[in-house]
Amino acid sequence: MSAASESPARTAINEIQQGFAASGYIASDAIATLVYLARALSKPVLVEGPPGVGKTELAKAAAALFDKPLIRLQCYEGLDEARALYEWKYGKQLLYTQVLKEKLGDLMAGAQGLKDSIARLHEFDDTFFNEEFLEPRPLLKALWAEQGAVLLIDEIDKSDQEFEAFLLELLADYQISIPEIGTVRAKHPPLVFLTSNNTREIGDALKRRCLHLYIPFPDSRLEQRIIETRVPELEARLRGQLVSFVQGLRGMDLKKVPAVSETIDWARTLVLLHANELDNQLVRETLNVLLKFQDDIEAIDAEIPALTRSAVRG
Amino acid sequence: MTQVLSDFVKALRAADVRVSTAESIEAAAAIEAVGFAERSLLKTALSQVLAKSADDKARFDDCFDRFFTTAELATLGADAAADDADEAGSDANEAGANEAGAGGSGGDGSGSGDGALVMLLEQGDTAGLQRRMAGAARNVQLQNIRLFTQRGMYMRRILEDMGIEAVDDLLHALVRADDDDPRAARLRELKARLVENVAELVDREMLLYTANAGTRLREEVLQKTPLARVEMRDFKVMHELVRKLAKRLVSLHARRRRVARRGRLDVRHTIRKNIEYDGLLFDTVWKRVRVDRPKVIAVCDVSGSVAQVARFLLLFLYSVNEVIPKVRSFAFSNHLGEITELFETRPVDEAVTTALNTWGMGATDYGGALAELERLTLEDIDHRTTVLILGDARSNYSDPGDRALRRIHERARRVLWLTPEPPALWNSGDSEMRKLGSCCDRVEPCRSLKHLERVISEIARTAI
Repeated sequence: MSAASESPARTAINEIQQGFAASGYIASDAIATLVYLARALSKPVLVEGPPGVGKTELAKAAAALFDKPLIRLQCYEGLDEARALYEWKYGKQLLYTQVLKEKLGDLMAGAQGLKDSIARLHEFDDTFFNEEFLEPRPLLKALWAEQGAVLLIDEIDKSDQEFEAFLLELLADYQISIPEIGTVRAKHPPLVFLTSNNTREIGDALKRRCLHLYIPFPDSRLEQRIIETRVPELEARLRGQLVSFVQGLRGMDLKKVPAVSETIDWARTLVLLHANELDNQLVRETLNVLLKFQDDIEAIDAEIPALTRSAVRG
Repeated sequence: MTQVLSDFVKALRAADVRVSTAESIEAAAAIEAVGFAERSLLKTALSQVLAKSADDKARFDDCFDRFFTTAELATLGADAAADDADEAGSDANEAGANEAGAGGSGGDGSGSGDGALVMLLEQGDTAGLQRRMAGAARNVQLQNIRLFTQRGMYMRRILEDMGIEAVDDLLHALVRADDDDPRAARLRELKARLVENVAELVDREMLLYTANAGTRLREEVLQKTPLARVEMRDFKVMHELVRKLAKRLVSLHARRRRVARRGRLDVRHTIRKNIEYDGLLFDTVWKRVRVDRPKVIAVCDVSGSVAQVARFLLLFLYSVNEVIPKVRSFAFSNHLGEITELFETRPVDEAVTTALNTWGMGATDYGGALAELERLTLEDIDHRTTVLILGDARSNYSDPGDRALRRIHERARRVLWLTPEPPALWNSGDSEMRKLGSCCDRVEPCRSLKHLERVISEIARTAI
C-alpha cells in the first residue's frame, strides 16, 4: 500500500546514508538505521564487532555528518572518574584557601565572639566546590557542550566493570552526579557511541540502555565500495582481485584475520608499488601489510598460489 | 499494535532472547520512528533495540521471520492506517472490502454474526480475511497456546470468533432448498480453505510460542538429576549448562579490587581528603589498586569407584578452566597427572575422554596421589589459592594421604572437598572422609548441577 511513497523514516535514513557516503564512510542499511534511531529515540549506541571494521570510524563520520565536535574517551583497565569525568583544580583551590586566609581578618572585622564569626562565615556561598574549580574530562565536556556533541567511548570492554556501572547514569539520563555540586544535566543530549571488541562480555545493564549493532566483516560488494571510496587510485580490476583475495583469507584459520583497515592499507601499498595484477610474488612480498603474525604468514604460505589464482580468476 | 508487539516480545522470550520491559517500551518507540511500511527496515530497527548480542540477533532474525509473515505485516500496516483514520486514500482495495475489513478488526469482542464472513469469503477478499483472522486470534488469545493438544480447541474458537456460524447456517439453508446448489458447493470449498488457513495459523503460532519449551524443560530436569545418572547423550546439553553456570558465576565474582597501602600517591584523593587540614597532606591515599583473581588448583578423582560421575566432574573442571584464568587441573586414580594443558588445547569431548583414558579406571590411591600433588604444587600454593578436590574419599583401605593434604591445607587459602556421595555414606566401608575431611575447610556433597552451582558460587565469592 505504501510502497509507492517512501516513508519519512526511509527518507531520513537514505539521507544519512548519502551523507556518510559523501564523507567517505560507506554505511550499510543497518548502520544508517542505527544512527537514525539513536537520534530519534535519543539513545546511546553500542557497536560491537571484530577489530578494524570501522566502529570508531562510524563515530567520526557521524560527528562530521552532523557537524558536532567529537569527544573521545579511550577506555583502558584502571580508568577512573578522575580521568573520564572531572577533576578538581587543586592548585587553584589551595591558592583560594591562602587568599581566603589573608582576607579572613577583613571579613571578620567587628564580629563579636565566635558565634558571630561563624554566622558571618556562613553568609558566604560555598565557592570552594563550584564549577569554577572543576576541570572537565571527556564525559563532562560532552554534557557541557553548547551545541551538543558526539561522544565516543572507545573499547568499553577494556575498562573495568566498575566503570561500566558508573556509565549507567550517563547513558540512561544524560546526567552525572558530582557529590560536591549535585547533578549535571546535558544541555543537549550528546549522541553517544560505545564500541567493544568483545574481549569480555558487556554487562546486561549497560546493554539494556543502548541500541545494539553488530558490524561483521563486510561482504565483498560492500568492501569493494569501501576500497573504491578510500583508495580511488586503485584500478577496478585489481580492486576486485584484492577484495576477493582478502575475503578468501578470512575463511581460513588465522590468529588474526585481516580487517577492512588492513585491506585499505594493502590497497594503498599496491598503488605505491604500481601493481596492476596480483601474482604470487607480489602477494608474498606485501603480505605483512595484511597479516600481523609471523605464524599466520607462514601458515598460509602454501595456500598463496591457490588463493591468488581464484582471486585473479575472480 | 501494542498487543502485537507484546506478543512478539513474548515469542522472543520463548526463543531465549532476553528482553526487558524497558526494552519493549523502546521497541514501541522505535516502531513509531520507522513505521510499518518497510519490512526490512522494521526488522533492522527492532533487532537493534531488542537483541543485544550476536547469538540473540540470530535468534531474533529467525523469530521475526516466523512472527511477521508478509501478510500479517500488511494487516498491521492497514490497522495502523485505520487508526490514523485515513484508510480511504491509502488502501487500493475497493470500498466494500475496506469496510468489511474495518468491521473485522474493529469488531473486537462483538459477536459479528451478520454474515460479513460470508461476504468476505465469496468476494475472495484475502486481505480482509487475513485481518479478520488476526483479530479473532487476538480475541481468543492464541498467544497463550502451550500444548499440541490445544490445537483443535483454538482452531474452533478462532473460527467461531470469525463468525463461521453464519456460514454454516447459510450452507444449511442453501442445501435444504436445493441439494446441488452451485453456490453451496463453492461456499463449502471456501470454508474448507478457510479452515486450512486457520489451522496453519495455529500451527505457526504454536511453533513460535513453544519453540524452546521442550529444551528448557530438559535443562531444568538435568539440573536436578544426580550427576551419576545423567546419560551420555545429554553430554552436550550438560556441557552447555555447566559452561553457562561457570561463566555466570565468574562474571559475578571474578574481580575484586582493593586499594593498596603503598605505591604512587593519588593526588586527587589525597588533597580532597586533606582539605579539612588546611591543605597539609598527611593523610595519604595511594593510587595502586590491587586486582585480586582467585587462583584455583583442582584435583579430580577419575577412578573406577566414581567413574560415573568423573566424566561430569571433568566437564565441570574444563568449564572452570575456560572461564577462570588461573586454574591448574589434575586427575588421578593410582597416579596423578596434570591435565591443565590438555584442557587448554583440546576441545571438550576429546579432553575429557583423554583424561579418563590416561588417568582413569585404576584403583584409587589417595595416599600416592596426594603426595604427588604436594610435590607438584606445594610451591605454587599460597594464601590466595583455593584447592578443590573432587572425589569420594574411598581409598581401598590404604593410606588416605591425610598428612600430605594437611600440609597443603596449611599453606592454601582453603581446601574444599566435593563428594558425589550423600553425607549418610561418609565414613562407611573404606571411606576416609573423617580423616581427609579434617584437613579441609569444607566438605560438601555435590550430586547435581544445583549443588554444584551453590558450592561454586561460594568458592567464587570468597576465594579471594
